[in-house]
Amino acid sequence: MLVFLFVLGVVFFVEPLIEEYPEDARVFPQLTAAAVLVGSGLLLVRNYLPGPIRSFVAEEVSITSDTTELDDDLETAEPPESDEERVVEKETIGSEYGYEVNDTAFVVVTAIVYFFAGWAAGFFWVTPFYVVFYTLWYKVRVTKSVFLAVLAMAILWVFMEFLGMPFDQGHVFDFSPFLPDFRQFLPFFLEWGGR
Amino acid sequence: MSALEAFFEGVVIAVSWPVIGYMAIGLLLGIVLGALPGIGSPVGMAIVLPLTLPMDATPAIILLTAIYAGAMYGGSIAAILINAPGTESAAATTLDGYPMSKNGLAKNALAIASTASALNGFLAAIALILLSPLLIEVVLAFGSPEYFLLAVLGISLITIVTQGSIVKGLVAGALGFMISTIGTAILTARPRYTFGQFGLYDGIDFVAALIGMFAFAEMMKLAAQKQIAGEDLEIAGSIREGVRTVFRYPVTTIKSGIIGMGIGMVPGSGATTSTFVAYAEEARSSAKDGKFGEGDPRGVIAPEAANNPTVSGSLVPTLSFGIPGSGSTAVLLGGILMHGLQPGPVLFDEQLQITYALFVSVFLGNVLILAVGLSIIPYASKITELDTNVIIPMVIVLSYAGAFTLNRNWFDVGAVIALGVLGFYMVRYNYSVIAFVLGIVLGPIAEENFFRSLQISGGEYRIFVHPIDRPLSFVLSVAIFLVLFGPFLKPKLEEVISRR
Repeated sequence: MLVFLFVLGVVFFVEPLIEEYPEDARVFPQLTAAAVLVGSGLLLVRNYLPGPIRSFVAEEVSITSDTTELDDDLETAEPPESDEERVVEKETIGSEYGYEVNDTAFVVVTAIVYFFAGWAAGFFWVTPFYVVFYTLWYKVRVTKSVFLAVLAMAILWVFMEFLGMPFDQGHVFDFSPFLPDFRQFLPFFLEWGGR
Repeated sequence: MSALEAFFEGVVIAVSWPVIGYMAIGLLLGIVLGALPGIGSPVGMAIVLPLTLPMDATPAIILLTAIYAGAMYGGSIAAILINAPGTESAAATTLDGYPMSKNGLAKNALAIASTASALNGFLAAIALILLSPLLIEVVLAFGSPEYFLLAVLGISLITIVTQGSIVKGLVAGALGFMISTIGTAILTARPRYTFGQFGLYDGIDFVAALIGMFAFAEMMKLAAQKQIAGEDLEIAGSIREGVRTVFRYPVTTIKSGIIGMGIGMVPGSGATTSTFVAYAEEARSSAKDGKFGEGDPRGVIAPEAANNPTVSGSLVPTLSFGIPGSGSTAVLLGGILMHGLQPGPVLFDEQLQITYALFVSVFLGNVLILAVGLSIIPYASKITELDTNVIIPMVIVLSYAGAFTLNRNWFDVGAVIALGVLGFYMVRYNYSVIAFVLGIVLGPIAEENFFRSLQISGGEYRIFVHPIDRPLSFVLSVAIFLVLFGPFLKPKLEEVISRR
């Protein structure tokens, strides 16, 4: 994390010099980049810094620390009875076949794949596959999973219809000619709602 | 327009249709989102924010504020029933709320939560309206150098209040400022840090950043959490008795409300701090006869009576100086800016009626919280039964759609993922996400005021510290110095004094 921040600080500091930004466009970003650069640099070498500087860099300070200590005391003194019996282990299709996938990594990887697939083929067409895959992976009931996929498509359709978002068009594939005219169903729903 | 005229115009706006309808929708949405463990107000507000684009500014801001206020109460539902606070600010409520529930007093605890929350929210909104003439005077005394310094002071305060290393907090704030400089420069038409990508010419939209930091990062966190089953929960007890309990402890209620509002006004300190402080104060002052941690009703009254006044309190720095006090107010500030409103002099002068409409809607919203809060108690457990595996993909779909809607720019959707991952690791390594978000949201304002100040002074940086020409700037600079270095200088000073 610190190395990433340090490198980012270097890039933001050096780029205006290489690209010769005018002063109006250069000073503020360079000042902020310098703060990131110096701060992350100090944190990187904090273990080798002399005493007072080290305490400034590494020490954790809070104006509410007294209260927090009191809070900690209260929490540790009489913690509420834990409710372990209510904790449910997450079951996945992967674990059934012996593949243990980290849940956070699963969210990120599927979200990235969904992003690129949506860019390529249009969010409207990719979304039901994403929702169904994600929910079925965690063994959500099929009917619930399909309902959510339809709900997600309906939400995207509202974005398309009322905000003019081109979610039915991808940058690689264009499936927009296959989009049914959902507006023809609107009178039916309005009539049904009025009953 | 006089303040009184603006107030009455604000009342008319707040009670007009569809504004009052948006307020009701926002409150209901907030209660539901707040009750879902791991969701809470910042996530809900971040998702709804881009959807408010086609709306007028006033109903949009009122909708967002209503979600915030509703979530404050909603968070207590999961805290009381399943010991999993829906929002961080409801964590203090679990300490006695859940034991009450275990003791067969769940209805009492939920009624206490909704009554204390609404009653004090109601009183705090009145205090906010009464306080506003004074605020107007203060806000109008600020100029460009002061606004730049206030942004720096806000980030400095956040680094201190949210705990952790000051340097980490400052790095997070500076990183936010730095990211905000991507795109075409404010004063010249020069593109910066775009690396030849046309999609970056408009920069990274701060709303996309908010969605990434709050919605996407929270979903990553939520995925890692264990699921808590809420099925077959029995909600026993008496609602009427719960309401009566709040009035049995008026001192606890009022005292906690004052704590909540006071802490809410400090930039960087949200309801999480105020509820724990209120709980700790109640536990200290009632130590003799209290059974805190075992289901003492005062242990529910104190945090719940503090949470909604914190909403009112946090509106003060957000609207007057553009310094949000929490994740939720950071999103609210994003909404204010997105709809073309400027926190500060404009909101307290030309657009004072909007500010008053917001205050009045907070006041009315608390009446609704009481009515809705008490009536949903028998069904409250249903909300907590929602499966997180169902919530996560839906939030991600909404996040992407919302981010794309901002500018029809794929880079904004990419920014949601990139900043979401960054936000997740920032939380893990104890960097202040609020400071980072504040940096991104306030970056353009800070940069503009920074340059305007230098233009006024002819390029002299002394404008920020000159005690005679700009006394307010000088005071703010001293305050920044004290906030950053005070905790380290204090022990040294004490040492020197004790030696003498």
